[in-house]
Amino acid sequence: IREARDYDHWRSCLSTNSGQIGVLPNHAPIATVIDIGILRIHLKDQWLTMALMGGFARINNNEIIVLVNDAEKDSDIDPQDAQQTLEIAKANLNKAEGKRQTIEANLALRRARTRVEAINVIS
Amino acid sequence: MSCSNLTMLVSSKPSLSDPSNLSFRSVLNPFQLPTQNPASCTPSRSSSTQIQCGLRELRTRIESVKNTQKITEAMKLVAAAKVRRAQEAVVNGRPFSETLVEVLYNINEQLQTEDVDIPLTKVRPVKKVALVVITGDRGLCGGFNNAIIKKAEARIRELKELGLQFTVISVGKKGNSYFIRRPYIPVDKFLEGGTLPTAKEAQAIADDVFSLFVSEEVDKVELLYTKFVSLVKSDPVIHTLLPLSPKGEICDINGVCVDAAEDEFFRLTTKEGKLTVERDVVRTKTIDFSPILQFEQDPVQILDALLPLYLNSQVLRALQESLASELAARMSAMSNATDNAIELKKNLSIVYNRERQAKITGEILEIVAGANALQ
Repeated sequence: IREARDYDHWRSCLSTNSGQIGVLPNHAPIATVIDIGILRIHLKDQWLTMALMGGFARINNNEIIVLVNDAEKDSDIDPQDAQQTLEIAKANLNKAEGKRQTIEANLALRRARTRVEAINVIS
Repeated sequence: MSCSNLTMLVSSKPSLSDPSNLSFRSVLNPFQLPTQNPASCTPSRSSSTQIQCGLRELRTRIESVKNTQKITEAMKLVAAAKVRRAQEAVVNGRPFSETLVEVLYNINEQLQTEDVDIPLTKVRPVKKVALVVITGDRGLCGGFNNAIIKKAEARIRELKELGLQFTVISVGKKGNSYFIRRPYIPVDKFLEGGTLPTAKEAQAIADDVFSLFVSEEVDKVELLYTKFVSLVKSDPVIHTLLPLSPKGEICDINGVCVDAAEDEFFRLTTKEGKLTVERDVVRTKTIDFSPILQFEQDPVQILDALLPLYLNSQVLRALQESLASELAARMSAMSNATDNAIELKKNLSIVYNRERQAKITGEILEIVAGANALQ
């Protein structure tokens, strides 16, 4: 569970199935699916960026609860490793045979791309 | 003159070494030859040699058992510490699981009147089953690994009798080495277990079963792992992992379902200096769903996204319970080994002391006999 809480100075951006949404203080209660993408939190004049690997988010009473399978901070991601993983994932997608391998390769590619994007976010 | 010579030898006896002792005995023989059978001396000498050798071996053995005892006791304490860490991992995962179950429950309320069509909950006629077998990486934990492997073998036999195809996903080195040596069992994947289960490892397993099920290569996925009951008891169980129940229930192969909300966790405590385990049902307070809560997407889509999360948490839970069971089994095994070592050391010490006493008594008797011979 990741929680971001600061009633006066917080903002966040979420990638959902139907596009990115921004959350400001006193946002209406909402429940949404989180796609594989980037979460950005603005707290005390700083942006925190995280790569999320799919899940669910709920916004209620100035609180955001994000449930994901896996999450990584941008500072925890090794740029070279992420880039290399992305190249490998692309190659695997080209070589994928059959329905099942294609599903697996697609998921791996989206995850790898998200990790690369988390590093390269311009704030 | 011969009597005088013997007296000199006796007076110098306190400084004799073993070779001199033998020399003394050989000198004594001609004197006693007319009155005593010389054959009786040979068994005594060989017996003495054997006792001497036996004592050294016994001493070495006792030292070896003592070292083994130290090792097993250390392993027992390490396993106890790791059980505590495994417990903390389960506790840390609790808020996630509870929130997930609660969200599933609330969304299902809104879907009661709708016909849900979600891939992970689709019930198909079963033609092929995937078995996820979770074993440990190392031994020295009693019958832990063997128990789960036997459970898997029994299930495989049942599936064969039912005429169903099956495939195995093996997790952990012990299971991997077992199935590698048996080519007649079809194995879809070999996965490594880690020292402490993480979401990434659960994700790898969940991804594999997800793609197997969604691509319709298998119609059912069963999870075989060892459920942690207490420090002295663990139970190999089979849970149906897929298809998922939309209401978040855990079903076993007999169709008996347990509400996942009845989450138990174990707590490692000490009672009168001994380690015990208590299982509690604990409810974390969560925020009620707001009546004006909006759904960004259709509830079916949200459910579609939540169920993989649930699948992942089920796999992670199984990995954690399996690890806790393995560590508890290792604690028990090493504790028993330590007790056995203590008992063995005691027995060997008794034998050693008895042999040593017999040797000393024999030597005293020889001295007394020699002294008597002089009179």
